[in-house]
Amino acid sequence: MAPQDRLTPIPFNIETRATEPQRQASLLRIAGLSVSYGAQQVVTDVGFELARGRSLALIGESGSGKSTIARAVLRLLAGGGRATGRIEFDGQDVLGLSERRFRILRGRDLGFVPQDPGNSLNPVRTIGVQAMEAAALVDEPSKAVRKALVLETFAQVGLDNPERVYDSYPHQLSGGMLQRVLIGLAVLPRPKLLVADEPTSALDVTIQKRILDLLSRLQEELNISLLLITHDLAIAAERAGSLVVLKDGVVQEAGSTASVFASPASAYARKLHADVPALNPDRYAALRDPGFRLLDTSAQATPKIEVNSITKTFAVDGRVLTAVNDVSFTVPAGTTHALVGESGSGKTTTIRLLLGLDQPDKGKISVAGEQLTGRSHDSLRAVWRHLQVVYQNPFTSLDPTWKVEQLVREPLDRFRIGTARERSERVREALANVGLGEHLLSRKPAALSGGQRQRVAIARSLVLKPDVLVLDEPTSALDVSVQADIVEVLLSLQARLGLTYVFVSHDLALVRQLAHTVSVMQRGRIVEHGTVADIFDNPKAPYTVSLLDSIPSGLASGIQAPRMRPQRLFKEEKIA
Amino acid sequence: MRNAYLTYAAKRLVQAVVVILLAYVFTFVVVSILPGDPITNVLRNPQNGFTETEIEEIIAAQGLDKPVLVQLSTSLSNFLTGDLGLSMRTNRPVTTLIAEVLPSTLVLASAGLAVALVLALVIAYGTRFLPKRFGQGLLRDFPSLFLSVPNFVIGLVLIHAFGFQLGLFRVIQPDSFWATFFAAIALGIPISAQIAEVLIANLDHESEQEYAAVARSRGIGQMRLFAKHLLKPSSLPVVTVIALTIGELLGGSLITETVFGRNGIGSLVQRSVTTQDLPVLQAVVSLAAVVFVLVNLIADLVYPLLDPRVKLLGAPERRPAAADESSVNVSKVVTS
Repeated sequence: MAPQDRLTPIPFNIETRATEPQRQASLLRIAGLSVSYGAQQVVTDVGFELARGRSLALIGESGSGKSTIARAVLRLLAGGGRATGRIEFDGQDVLGLSERRFRILRGRDLGFVPQDPGNSLNPVRTIGVQAMEAAALVDEPSKAVRKALVLETFAQVGLDNPERVYDSYPHQLSGGMLQRVLIGLAVLPRPKLLVADEPTSALDVTIQKRILDLLSRLQEELNISLLLITHDLAIAAERAGSLVVLKDGVVQEAGSTASVFASPASAYARKLHADVPALNPDRYAALRDPGFRLLDTSAQATPKIEVNSITKTFAVDGRVLTAVNDVSFTVPAGTTHALVGESGSGKTTTIRLLLGLDQPDKGKISVAGEQLTGRSHDSLRAVWRHLQVVYQNPFTSLDPTWKVEQLVREPLDRFRIGTARERSERVREALANVGLGEHLLSRKPAALSGGQRQRVAIARSLVLKPDVLVLDEPTSALDVSVQADIVEVLLSLQARLGLTYVFVSHDLALVRQLAHTVSVMQRGRIVEHGTVADIFDNPKAPYTVSLLDSIPSGLASGIQAPRMRPQRLFKEEKIA
Repeated sequence: MRNAYLTYAAKRLVQAVVVILLAYVFTFVVVSILPGDPITNVLRNPQNGFTETEIEEIIAAQGLDKPVLVQLSTSLSNFLTGDLGLSMRTNRPVTTLIAEVLPSTLVLASAGLAVALVLALVIAYGTRFLPKRFGQGLLRDFPSLFLSVPNFVIGLVLIHAFGFQLGLFRVIQPDSFWATFFAAIALGIPISAQIAEVLIANLDHESEQEYAAVARSRGIGQMRLFAKHLLKPSSLPVVTVIALTIGELLGGSLITETVFGRNGIGSLVQRSVTTQDLPVLQAVVSLAAVVFVLVNLIADLVYPLLDPRVKLLGAPERRPAAADESSVNVSKVVTS
């Protein structure tokens, strides 16, 4: 039995707040809350209520002000942030209290679970020292008892070997373990309200599910109210009783989860809903169908990409680690093959081998009939023209000092293709292909939105007119609605230009929307492969089943997706 | 873990010894190619009144008639055995000369460093906790102010105010407690500026880190946050800065000693330069190199003890203390 399944009743000798006779009133009541940084107002007139023992999700995209609201509740706004309006917690006016009076509430009554577990613990102090700070909030004079309390909490949140965790430094633990520690520390003093700011966005899907399960269970058993901040509508649908949808700091819609999902009233909520892959598996069916037809007819033809039992090992600390172990797959021309797995599964190494950035120890790779393995760097250059890559994070993959025109033209310059005039024509053509206008040519990346940046990155790979694009988590750094735009661009490019994609992702819902064939990787091996329908409707490997189970889905709670809005193709991006 | 640290320390120590020897050879070469022949300048200087036979004796005793390479190897082997030769000016062992003045300089330098650290900490603390109406913002300008005032000016002001006006110490007794105290302040102020500058920048950076907000969400007060959470990670770069300011501390004590009339390494150097007393100069420069290397060695050795994340040079990578139950850390190392 997994350790996190044995959540016993809490034997602490502190009073359980659930029994207090104050169930009638709301625990948290926010009215007319506005937050500004200097002259810039980021939250405007927000109001909602959260009852005791209930859960509420604040959802919205980056910049919607959801995290700011969470921090305003905890009075932890970053320097210069000013909150006005009313935040009432347990009958007390949060904004009106003196720092001294409010500090007593922090930790004891208001728990906080942060977004990025890797940066949320002091890196140069042991976890034990920091845990004892949380334990100090419990009225318990004996240090030994408080330490026992900490260890017990660690066990409760599913950490094996609590003693060892206690003595560790944060960098010695994985993100999932750190998030368990942080949740443990937040619930240890038995707060009345837990504010969880994107508690799982930095974690792998299967760990995400366990962490969310843990939160839900603690919330239920300890009767804690949960304020969940998330960008993921599917998570909100699954975990929260009511929703507040935010955009640009303004509430778009609020209500019970069921009603917001069943009949979203605001246009924004409808759009958000339609953009979530997990809720709309067939959204791009029309765009994807040509690929499926190719898949059927290309059974005999030579595949565009052929990876034949490649193996790659690395020596770490004198030990040999097999990062990729006997991996094989083929991708017919014009289709999308998805490599799916969690961090450490070997996806990244596999695509590095496919791109010829590393050489496999064993096995062969060929692209468009050309052998990639065992070739010199110079002869690989010829292949690279037909094999381009789009990276994960457009905020770091584009040189911030270059203009869009230079960025997109660079591959042409490197490969010395065409005259100056031809190059500039091809740059314009590539930009048009991704739906960007010529007015952006002289912009630098900082003056572009995230979606525009990733379009520039795609244009940059398209400018060489490659046959194959390797897409390394191309949307994971982007908001859902932007993600939907990029997916649409990619799929329509495939339909028009007949591109072959290798798509690397940990997001199974997204894979389901756009891939034709799928390989599921675990610990360097392919544990299962097949068409999207095979994998998603009829998974065989236990690991695939557990991955599929981890997809948060509003469908699980019986909420059906509303009808999709019409497809928009090649929508010109508005200038921000 | 323990073994890894010892291996690391041993490697660092060997490197330090090599650097010291190289520094010695380098100063020897520089001194020997300097223009001007010390024999003509010092020994044949009529003011010194040496006879020709005495000069011959000194030349033979110092080995100045031998080829340069032979001189270097004798000098180096003497250096290794702790024999720094005889001063040309006084004909006394250089080690004795240095031993006479070293304690005074060491006292001044360490007092100066202590003043600098305390001052830096006070400024850094003030920039975070001094109420705005008491000039919190003004405090941030102190480091650049301190840096822009030369320490002999500070020294002269201190002598004037506390020595002559208030009569706290007598200028003709430069080794008294108060005289040393104010000399240390004059020396420490410019150095405190550099330390404070780094400390303030790091405190600003660390206090914006997510862990600071999370610690506050645990009900931690500002004072405790400063003392228990922010100070340690913020002082890590300070260790490096201190190691780098040692040169300044030595140079600064030279000036401070002159201003306050102290008899230390500074005055010894000054006398030796004017008389071209090469063995003494060679010894002092080598000593400075040794101090510099030692301080950096200490900084290197202390750093991994302060920051658990530092990977030791040549030591095997540490395993995570406990394996995660759900993801494969091992291959994460490889693919990330």
